[in-house]
Amino acid sequence: MPDERAPNGKDFDPVGAFREVRDNYLDVWAKTMVDAVNSEAYAKATGMMLDTYLTASAPLREALEKSTLQALQQLNMPSRPDFISLAERLTNVEMKLDDLDAKLDEIGNSLKKPSSARPRKPAAARNRGKGAK
Amino acid sequence: MAEAAVVAEQFLELPEKLNAFNKAVTTKVPIAQTPKEVVWALNKAKLYRYIPVVPEEKRLPVPLLLVFALMNRPYILDLRPGHSFVEFMVKQGYDLYLLDWGSPGPEDKNLKFDDYTLDYMPRAIRKMKVISGSKEFSMLGWCIGAILATVYAALRPDDGLRNLILLTAPLDFSNKQGITFARWVDERYFDVDKVLEATGNMPGEMIDYGARALKPVDNYVLNYLKLWDNIDNPQVVDAWMAMNTWVTDNVPLAGGAFRQLVVDLYRNNRLMRGEWIIRGERVDLKKIRANMLTVIAEGDHITPPCQSEAIMSKVGSKDKELFRVRGGHIGIMAGSGADKITWPHIEGWLRPRSK
Repeated sequence: MPDERAPNGKDFDPVGAFREVRDNYLDVWAKTMVDAVNSEAYAKATGMMLDTYLTASAPLREALEKSTLQALQQLNMPSRPDFISLAERLTNVEMKLDDLDAKLDEIGNSLKKPSSARPRKPAAARNRGKGAK
Repeated sequence: MAEAAVVAEQFLELPEKLNAFNKAVTTKVPIAQTPKEVVWALNKAKLYRYIPVVPEEKRLPVPLLLVFALMNRPYILDLRPGHSFVEFMVKQGYDLYLLDWGSPGPEDKNLKFDDYTLDYMPRAIRKMKVISGSKEFSMLGWCIGAILATVYAALRPDDGLRNLILLTAPLDFSNKQGITFARWVDERYFDVDKVLEATGNMPGEMIDYGARALKPVDNYVLNYLKLWDNIDNPQVVDAWMAMNTWVTDNVPLAGGAFRQLVVDLYRNNRLMRGEWIIRGERVDLKKIRANMLTVIAEGDHITPPCQSEAIMSKVGSKDKELFRVRGGHIGIMAGSGADKITWPHIEGWLRPRSK
């Protein structure tokens, strides 16, 4: 059984020294990168890249959307805008149902309340009424 | 000789470690396991009620509603058994509700803060009140969820909100130098309309990239090195996998809300300046009267502390507290120390105010 203990008593770690160097290096790198992404130059560069991509892809995207829409119309099938409009209408219906549900809750609560909230006349008072007839 | 044997042994273990690492990185683990039921739904949004585990007579009478951000899954609040804020609060006797915004589709691209705060939240809260039987409630908003909670509290101050808890709330955008996102979405560099014209909603992947790029080495290198270095430690690996499952599960942000976030808040700071108009109503923070606890993460790079401090002097609440915690945006609630510092503090603040 090999002795895995280093002379100082700690567990022998063959990559320990490397790990320490690595961590120190990464620490410096991390701080440098945080400064870099927090700079105007980074904001400008990423903005420019995104803008270039959007500008370059726009004609293709528009052509694709147009042709898809035309194909769906030819096939008499619903397109994305149709589904969007349908989904919006469904959400409106859902909201109305939700309001109705809330009203039903209110009615249910108000029906429960009177029986417990309204005090019954004492028996003597009720009998008094009967006796007067 | 002994050193050579150890090196050889470590070398032989390498394939096994690589397999374990690969599995950890690619496997989705079960999350959000605290039992719950859907009690309300509208479009993609759902209101969950967590099944109480404390007898009714011992439960706190004022229910608590959790409102998380729009562009992440809310199960970070219920990450895994034993490490879940939800589980902790349910065990403490709270009647707990979670508003899950779901994932917006192309049909939701026009959804704005107006819709979330004036159509969705009032309805969810109405249902919560019916189920709990309480006219009053507490609300905890985290990140963008804190913006929603704040706007709701200001627009509907008489709706029964007794306690408002804001976690890492991005509300003040005046310090442009201190907020990296503000620099990135500056109108000189970022054309929000052009992006939304192409994408409809803000894609989850772009939001994820933005969040990770704030600390690129930490998120793209150190995070994985931490896993590699601890691959033999099941506790670290389990925690890492749960967090990785959440981090990689992104949802888009509705286009209308993203535009407001960029134009109204990041660029023009309209909320803090008292100029934000939500469906014709001005959001006046002075109208907030609920008891308020603001929790700030001192090491937060997503919502720097400067964004959450000013709200304290703007609200009309008399009972208010600012609590600072060491840690990051997510770490203060889902990190290893959360159950010792943040959760007990929130619970300790809320309990006497929930009776």
